[in-house]
Amino acid sequence: MADSTKIETPARTVETVTFTINGRTATVAKGTTVLQAAHGLGITIPSFCWHPKLKPVGACRMCYVEIEKMPKLQVSCATEVTNGMVVFTESDKVKQGRRAIIEFTLLNHPLDCPTCDKGGECDLQNLTFAHGYDDSRFAFQKLRKIEAGVPSTFDDIKIGPEIVLNRNRCILCYKCVRANKEAFGEYDLGAFERGNHTEINAAPGQQVDNPFSGNLVEICPVGALTNTDWRYKIRVWLTDQKASICPFTSSGTNIQFYVERHKNRIFRTTGRRNDAIDDGWLSDVTRYGYQIIQSPDRLKTPLIKKNGKQVPATWDEALAVAAARLTEIRDKKGCVCVGGLASPSLDNASLYTFNKFMRVAMESNNVDYRTEYRRLPSSLDNPYDIAASQAFTIADIDESDVIVVIGSDLVREHPNEYLRVRKAEQFNRSKVFLLNPLSTKPSDVAALELVHKPGAEEIAISAICLAAMESGWASGVNADDLKSKTGFKKAADAAGACGLDLIEIQAVARAIAEGKKITIIAGELVTRSREREAIGAALCNLNRVFGVDGKGQMAILARHANSVGAARLGLTPDLGAGFAGALKSIWGQYPETPPQNTDAMLAAARKEELDAMILVGVNPVMIYPDREFAREALDKLDFLIACDLFETETTQLADVVLPLAGWAEYRGEYFNLEGRLQSAEPGIAPLNEARPAHQILESLAEQCGSPLFAGMDQRNAEMEKILKVDIRRPWPTGLIEVKPQPQETAPERTVALIMGDDPHHSGYLTEKAPSLVGFCGEAYAELSPELAAKLKVGAGDSVRLEAATGKIIVPVRVSEHIDNDVVFVPRNFMAAPVNSLVSRKQRVDWVKISKVSD
Amino acid sequence: MTEILKAFVNVIIKMPQGFGVTLKYLFRKPVTVQYPKQKIPMTPRYRGRHYLERYDDGTERCVCCGLCAAACPADAIYMEPEETANGERKAKVYEINLLRCIFCGFCEEACPEEAVFLGQDYEFSADNRNSFIWTKDQMLVKHPRKENPLKRIIRRVRRVYGVPTAK
Amino acid sequence: MFYSPVITNASEAAKSDKLHLFRYVEDPDQVKVATYEQHGGYKAWRKALTGMSPEQVAETVKNAGLRGRGGAGFPTGLKWGFVPKNSPKPRYLVCNADESEPGTCKDRVLMERDPHAVIEGMAIAAYAIGCHVMFIYIRGEFNHSIDRMEAAMREAYAAGHLGKNLYGTGYDLEMIVHTGGGAYICGEETALLNSLEGERGMSRMRPPFPAIEGLYACPTIVNNVETLATVPHIINHGAEWYRKLGTEKSAGTKIFSLSGHVKRPGNYEVELGFNLKKFIYDPAFGNGIIGDKKLKGVIPGGASTPFLTPDMIDVGLDYESLTVKGSMLGSGAVIVFHEQTCIVWVLLKLIHFFHHESCGKCTPCREGTAWLEQIIHRIEAGEGHPGDIEAMDEVCSNILGRTICPLGDAAVMPIQSAIRLYRDEWQYHIDNHRCLVDTRFEFK
Repeated sequence: MADSTKIETPARTVETVTFTINGRTATVAKGTTVLQAAHGLGITIPSFCWHPKLKPVGACRMCYVEIEKMPKLQVSCATEVTNGMVVFTESDKVKQGRRAIIEFTLLNHPLDCPTCDKGGECDLQNLTFAHGYDDSRFAFQKLRKIEAGVPSTFDDIKIGPEIVLNRNRCILCYKCVRANKEAFGEYDLGAFERGNHTEINAAPGQQVDNPFSGNLVEICPVGALTNTDWRYKIRVWLTDQKASICPFTSSGTNIQFYVERHKNRIFRTTGRRNDAIDDGWLSDVTRYGYQIIQSPDRLKTPLIKKNGKQVPATWDEALAVAAARLTEIRDKKGCVCVGGLASPSLDNASLYTFNKFMRVAMESNNVDYRTEYRRLPSSLDNPYDIAASQAFTIADIDESDVIVVIGSDLVREHPNEYLRVRKAEQFNRSKVFLLNPLSTKPSDVAALELVHKPGAEEIAISAICLAAMESGWASGVNADDLKSKTGFKKAADAAGACGLDLIEIQAVARAIAEGKKITIIAGELVTRSREREAIGAALCNLNRVFGVDGKGQMAILARHANSVGAARLGLTPDLGAGFAGALKSIWGQYPETPPQNTDAMLAAARKEELDAMILVGVNPVMIYPDREFAREALDKLDFLIACDLFETETTQLADVVLPLAGWAEYRGEYFNLEGRLQSAEPGIAPLNEARPAHQILESLAEQCGSPLFAGMDQRNAEMEKILKVDIRRPWPTGLIEVKPQPQETAPERTVALIMGDDPHHSGYLTEKAPSLVGFCGEAYAELSPELAAKLKVGAGDSVRLEAATGKIIVPVRVSEHIDNDVVFVPRNFMAAPVNSLVSRKQRVDWVKISKVSD
Repeated sequence: MTEILKAFVNVIIKMPQGFGVTLKYLFRKPVTVQYPKQKIPMTPRYRGRHYLERYDDGTERCVCCGLCAAACPADAIYMEPEETANGERKAKVYEINLLRCIFCGFCEEACPEEAVFLGQDYEFSADNRNSFIWTKDQMLVKHPRKENPLKRIIRRVRRVYGVPTAK
Repeated sequence: MFYSPVITNASEAAKSDKLHLFRYVEDPDQVKVATYEQHGGYKAWRKALTGMSPEQVAETVKNAGLRGRGGAGFPTGLKWGFVPKNSPKPRYLVCNADESEPGTCKDRVLMERDPHAVIEGMAIAAYAIGCHVMFIYIRGEFNHSIDRMEAAMREAYAAGHLGKNLYGTGYDLEMIVHTGGGAYICGEETALLNSLEGERGMSRMRPPFPAIEGLYACPTIVNNVETLATVPHIINHGAEWYRKLGTEKSAGTKIFSLSGHVKRPGNYEVELGFNLKKFIYDPAFGNGIIGDKKLKGVIPGGASTPFLTPDMIDVGLDYESLTVKGSMLGSGAVIVFHEQTCIVWVLLKLIHFFHHESCGKCTPCREGTAWLEQIIHRIEAGEGHPGDIEAMDEVCSNILGRTICPLGDAAVMPIQSAIRLYRDEWQYHIDNHRCLVDTRFEFK
């Protein structure tokens, strides 16, 4: 019951009630249930079916309490505290009631604890020990739920790629079904039959493969649901728990590893409930992502290219070669010629060491962490970065009455925020509006879903501003000014230009204007857009028109685990005078060379103006939005150092490959998208010869003759000073001009490609996690039924997607949730590199789509 | 003088008495056991090295639940479970380090499947430490077999700890 | 048209000025709206809608002392008053026609033979609570009732008794006939609402009560068919007239479904407070026990109510008198057993029903009913163990009052009363491994 120490008070209640529990008098907020109040006071009330994040259901009846003046025992999970209530949780009647419930619960529960993986952490075991009878009076055959054709001795059935169900063990608390429905909005699990024949099972013809399915296993109070990665592997009491942070989500989901110390192996991940961030729910990527660390494909030793072939080497050799070449290039030709890219999923220490390595040891300003975006701005003073630097609190989504999601496929990018949005709708009746070029997942809870033309984000946002001004719902700015800045005379024109109905636009505008607390989330579809500065400008205008900053929050959310840390630690090439000055005062030196961002670096490399690059955990060939461009650029480099966990297209081009340690192998600190600093314990010691990035860079700097730090203390002190620099920029006070960009069209390419993450993947590494591959193992093209019919393809067929830059062939998935002029392809699979269809010069990637005939 | 006499009497009387004892044992059955050739029977409750029992149909009893390892005060048991084709749990690795084992019998007591038993054997000397780590194959009783060598021990365990009877 | 052959006392009702529910049920044309109107139908609906305010209607029903006929006996007018007055949400009326209690078949007769009375009552109740969409949830197996209700509903729409702008008052009322999937639990109001919403039929936690948050989280009133069918008569004749019927606290008439070992089983409308002994033995009603055997026991209110022994049956059939005798009026299904009935066998049948119909939500009912069935089955098969009765009694007390909905209570109350009243017979079963009575249940 460790997860229930906080009294959760329903939002916006100030009224309190006073009651007596076990002779103690306490005052709690009105609406608190007896069980919550008791837990808050440190009084444990046992229960099976109660979950702090779900509505009470009162099914298990374990949480009985005796309340004065009530003749029957009451279930405390559903009884609200009232004034003057006198509660007893340990009276004889209550104890008898609990004993009876344990007895009932155990009637048909098999006593197969020796083979059950829940043994040791089973609520039923614990509560039976605490409250049950020693012996059973039940002298009949236990009920066995057998399914024909299942060879399992224990009647286990596999109901999803990762979930095994044993219906005999199920005590029917309905927690899984409720969580699936209330928290995740999924209906692939249900209850069937009646009475004690009731069973939980996957919906007919379906698999439990939703992106949050792992949570169902975690909340199961018994061993009815087990996941295959933990099943029959180890006993829970042999493992240590290590608190860590999810490296795949930007919200920094709190997780813990179950580690067997002697084997140096992680066995599973569960949540560490943090109500400010994740509510205890984990997406499957977070849950099974640890497996990539233990993949047998990990790079085992450093590799050095000799005679065009990469051969294994020792660390000393590799570092010596790398340092020698780097110093040579730095000193001979001038330091403009070294560039570096780091992954925004690295920890603070690594990112900072990287920054200092590049700027001090390599004396270069060619530092960047934004590898997957097009047309990066030269400096941070642009509307996009202003909107992206705004304060955002995840927990505030819960209490917002209007939530607008702009350009974000929430479930694929921000699973925690996705669940928050659902929760706000479920528990707070918030109005949710989605403004996307394709239909996205929370559409079932959305008050209105607006699907605009691809590449018209800023026009749609301008249309909202114009509609509000026209109808008089907002009066923050001068209407004529707005018209001239947006380039549209009327809201109807703008709405028409982005392919939406004016009435839809007006509904959104009205809701934002009338909302008391507003959350506006913009996501990756904005960030990845070539015109993100224009969209940022439109968002700034939206803020001015509605005064969002006064009554809520609006931000473009960071995508990577430590994007915020990378920005705050100065990993952008042009830092501006203030930040650069701060760095100079700390380091005593600051390079004077022209700053080059990713785009510029790769372009320079292509022109052979850049000689060496250091890539730390980055795979530009896979994620840069122009595959061939990146490959050519890297190929033309004189010297390339790539640090990564796996062999990738990029490491194949490298002269020196250094095996990098993953986030689970060393201690690190990360900033989540709110700017919350969280630290992750190492789960295991680095496998093989991998080393953490900061260690690699420090030794490299030492070998280059310019050691970075005297010790860890110095590094931490310097970081502390840097983090004091405030990079948040205020919203602009006036309107900003939004220039609608013409969309490029090519007559033969008619379908807009949208790439993103599959709900079960994130980035290019999760392919190495067997469990995640079990959910989705290959790339696919998601088409609308109409488009599929037009192409005469169905599930199982393949389509060819062609663009000017390349083509890929992927199988088809038909989805109701996508428009006819859009195709979605996940970018997580090396076998189908979707970034080869993308051009850095284009805003919308139009592709030609055709059926592949066998 | 008297002392000399006394000593003389002692030699005359006591010495034959002493030799008498020796002589007596010369004709008795010796208590010494010719150990390697000859072995003494152990007491019924002697705890020797471990056996892993099977069911009558030959399947292993051990499900690798880990309770013996948890109960072991010397941390001598190591095991790794695996899943069989029909979803059963069984031990992939089951090792007991007999150098660490203190033969307390807690594992036997903890076992919910009556799979592990301490037998009467005590001969497991070896010339290197690795040989003292007994594996599952070494401990698993043979199957099929005429007479279960552990039947007596199982009977004894059941007498001591009771049998779950069907009511 | 199919006409279910149920004996009723319609002829007496036609003669009486007190019995009103059954007055026209033997008339085959009563299902037609024209005939119903000839018999004074839809007068009350027109009167309520054109001449009375919703509050007046509710007040009249409250003053009439009408109590719910579904089993709990909660005052109907009072229930209507629980609907929040100033809620912005729509309100709903649901007619509970999921009649599945063993022994009860009164609503079915009303729906099959007088469907317009039900519709009229629903309409008046809907008006009283300010609802514009009303539902009738009919048990899935009642095919004829469903057909009749749907036909009647179409006729009522055509005749202008339902639909938009009724009688020129601007009041709209829509009706939806919903058929259940055949679960006893869906007769429980919250489970019914879940089922109506398309969820699994499982009861909800209360509070919030349906009157505050019911169907689609909106204020909802759930009333029994018979309750609603009574409402037009109250509006027509006034509260005072109704109040004079029956006893002081249990006003009005009620349909009792008489079944079991009686010579003349059927549905009879009588005033509340009617003597049970007379009801069983009077030639107009039960006409005595089959084969003139001795009476062993009576369940007076459907399968979920405690037994009455022969010495207890000289009692009025009303809410209070039966409570005094330790039983309940329930849904008014009087089940009679003669002396050659094995009480263990009866209980086995009952508990099998409740085990089968337990929804599986809360632990005591889900597991307890199954356990009880196994114990009783063992005793019935002559394999009872000493101590089984005590174990059963304890299991019953662990279920009673500890479940979400009354199904758990319903399952154990007859068992507890049977153990209390017929303990010798249980003991005989366990000790001698056979029945005390020499023959099994016989219908002759």
